[in-house]
Amino acid sequence: MPTDRHRHWLPFSCGIGYAVLYLYAIGDLAPASPAAWDWRLAPVTLERLLDMRAPFRFEPVAILDAGHAVLLLSPINLLLAAVLAGLMTVNIHGALYLRSHPRACRASRLGLAAGTAPALLAGGACCAPSLVLLLGLPGLGAFAGLFGWLVPLSIAALGLSRIRQRRQGAPSLVRCRGRAVCP
Amino acid sequence: MPCRIVSILLVCLPAMAGPAIAAPPNGPPLVMTSSGDHYWQASLSGGPGKDGIPSIDDPNFVPAAQADEWLAAGSRIIGVYRNGEAKAYPQSILVWHEIVNDTVGGDRLSVTYCPLTGTALGFLRGTTEFGVSGRLVNSNLIMYDRDSESHWPQILASAVEGPRKGRSLHQVRVFWTTWDRWRTRYPDTKVLSKEQTGHLRSYRSDPYGGYNPRRGYYAEQSPRAFPVMHESERYPPKREIYGFRTGSVAVAVDRAALAKHSVLRHRGKQADFLVLHDPGLGTAWVYRGEPGELPADEALRDLTFTKGGPRNEALSGLVAAPGFEAMWFAWYAFYPDTVVLDGNAD
Repeated sequence: MPTDRHRHWLPFSCGIGYAVLYLYAIGDLAPASPAAWDWRLAPVTLERLLDMRAPFRFEPVAILDAGHAVLLLSPINLLLAAVLAGLMTVNIHGALYLRSHPRACRASRLGLAAGTAPALLAGGACCAPSLVLLLGLPGLGAFAGLFGWLVPLSIAALGLSRIRQRRQGAPSLVRCRGRAVCP
Repeated sequence: MPCRIVSILLVCLPAMAGPAIAAPPNGPPLVMTSSGDHYWQASLSGGPGKDGIPSIDDPNFVPAAQADEWLAAGSRIIGVYRNGEAKAYPQSILVWHEIVNDTVGGDRLSVTYCPLTGTALGFLRGTTEFGVSGRLVNSNLIMYDRDSESHWPQILASAVEGPRKGRSLHQVRVFWTTWDRWRTRYPDTKVLSKEQTGHLRSYRSDPYGGYNPRRGYYAEQSPRAFPVMHESERYPPKREIYGFRTGSVAVAVDRAALAKHSVLRHRGKQADFLVLHDPGLGTAWVYRGEPGELPADEALRDLTFTKGGPRNEALSGLVAAPGFEAMWFAWYAFYPDTVVLDGNAD
């Protein structure tokens, strides 16, 4: 049974991990060799900021060579990563809370299980392109053109899931600290 | 009077429309085992949209000595030698761009590379440029030309959709080799600059794996990522073969067998083919001759390889046939009726 402390560090860790994984999966964060230190900035124009490489994947405006890692900086990609990671954090927090207070809250087992669907969608948004290449799943590759659309779908699903959690009695992430029961 | 106005318009309108659209020069027709419509229907999105993988349209180059600072001896490059000028395009750059619209030795070329099929081909492009459509067929890059918007699968080198459907490109020889091999034969080569491609990409990383050593998607036994039209288990899916095709036949050369025998032959119905191993670049050269008119092995003993290719009197009168290295699964997906030269049969 997760403690209050776990209910905080676990969701935050998952959220940060998800953001890193998302940036890696879309190619904005990559391990590199040999090690190098450098950075370059492209002319920042609205056209460049909104220029899409693929659905919901935007062109970078700067590149940062940081030793054995390369970070491509696209403000909108970073914003999408932050939104997804934030929603993931509050969803995990809510799920942990509802799991530890099933009677006090109005959550059913079915409802909790249904909460995994947005997480799976979000996982797809992050990892589907990498899975195609790493695991070699030609059947999945046939849908590569649709992968980008998993991003807005994930945001919508995670948002709806969070609303449902709140209606079932999950506290907000900030106010919950120290509480043992639902409001 | 109206006739006079119409005449003036007929004379003036083409001039007002600007320079005539120069199509890429036609190449000889190449064998296709399915119709263009069939290939186009089998194509699918690879993920990035049109020009989501941006071609390099204003390439800049650095001297070989400068490239030595960041290219390892075993790094893969795509090399072009034309009219006395040698240029190298590092795979680590082209994996992010797939097409460079360039001029080499005075000829306008598109140097193209598809990482998913391991194929590097060069084409004369006329005054047009080629871009990456974002679509794939048999995992292979489908290019589009920017004036007619016709779609050309790279391996087929023929348009399968658009106003130029049915036409073939004029292929020029490019080399898929390593930096140390290329630099040895062409010490005065220039190298595509990674600093001035016009785009921000992480050229120190490869999203698919690596070639030095081979790993990830490029490993011989690793699975392919997209559906294909035809499958074969004769070789591991990513085994590199050397392939060439004419209007009537496609031939895959087992590179290990070629290295062992140095010379392989194929007797076709309409022509005979001579395949020579080039140990310097680790590639093959193919010559086509009339049936029964190829030189004997003894006549090829004094064969040498220069910047311009194999040199031997016995080769005079034969026509060079351009080919390219490819992953086996991709070659077979396009050419299921392919002849395979493995050193065991004619």
